[in-house]
Amino acid sequence: MSEDRTLEYLLERELRVVNNYVALKRKTLAELLREDYPHVLTLTGDIHMFRKSELRLAKEVLGEDAEKLMLPIYVELIPAQTITTGVVRDETATKLVSTLLGVSHATPLYVYPVQLAELRRKIGTLIQYVISPEALKEVRDYEET
Amino acid sequence: MLRLARPTKIEFIRLRRRLATARRLHRVLRDRLLILTQELVALYKEVVEHRLRVHDEIVRCEKELIRTLSYVEPSTFEEFSNIRVSSLSVVVGSRIVAGVKLPLLEHEVIEGRYDPSAYPITLKEVSECYEDVIKRIIRLAEAEISLLEVGKEVQKVKRKVNALENLIIPRLRATIKYLRMKFEEREREDKIRRKRIKQVLSRKARI
Repeated sequence: MSEDRTLEYLLERELRVVNNYVALKRKTLAELLREDYPHVLTLTGDIHMFRKSELRLAKEVLGEDAEKLMLPIYVELIPAQTITTGVVRDETATKLVSTLLGVSHATPLYVYPVQLAELRRKIGTLIQYVISPEALKEVRDYEET
Repeated sequence: MLRLARPTKIEFIRLRRRLATARRLHRVLRDRLLILTQELVALYKEVVEHRLRVHDEIVRCEKELIRTLSYVEPSTFEEFSNIRVSSLSVVVGSRIVAGVKLPLLEHEVIEGRYDPSAYPITLKEVSECYEDVIKRIIRLAEAEISLLEVGKEVQKVKRKVNALENLIIPRLRATIKYLRMKFEEREREDKIRRKRIKQVLSRKARI
């Protein structure tokens, strides 16, 4: 395999690996709280389970908004930045994340690596990282020029 | 530097495209590595903390048990331990972190029906103490397996990142630089050649 093909293959594979656990259908927090084994199915058919204690914490923080929160929360990683930064774009999710991190509420909410670690500690199973499509933008830009 | 069969413009374009792909891949991998490293560090801390707590709690529970057994009959103890918990189950699920499938263990305890006034309160305390130990051991098991899985993945991703960072990208850059210099040199040669031709032609015209 030529180096060209190897690189293309690796890039494609990495993006597939990194984004293959995206949920087939997201569920609301209220819906998950009613389940005995709260989980969602991923694109590859795997099961992603949520910890009940974390779901209860989210419910406690959000109160009535629990109906609106779609889980898992996607933290989009933006590789274009100098420091890898995560972005939460969902309105209800930003409310939860900002409360847990103790930062002011904003949509979209930018989450830095230190905060990502804290978020992982508090609601590790409720969040999932996705690689932003911006990661490929530069390649496309280059091809266009 | 890459070995090139022919230093052509097509090769130059191909190399630049390859460099762009390599850089994209590097960024994606670097992000994944960051997430995985964070997970690894967090899991490591969790494992250490759980291990220490398990040891401490076992010692505490043993002490409590010995103290309780000094004034509770073994038969009462046996009876209580049989009815205290009606079932204990562990749900084995999975969670996925940055493309790595990790186990998720959730324990469920269903308390048995009994009259609390019939047994000394210390017995309940001892059983609760051991319940905490079991909970912690389950979490420890989950964290240890996850640590191993994440560690393996970190190793793999790190190897790829290092190969890109120290080998592929610098080599592509060096080759591109070499080609650019080659083209500039060729251009300069062309310019000089044209000048020389012009000079020769003008000399001939004068003659």
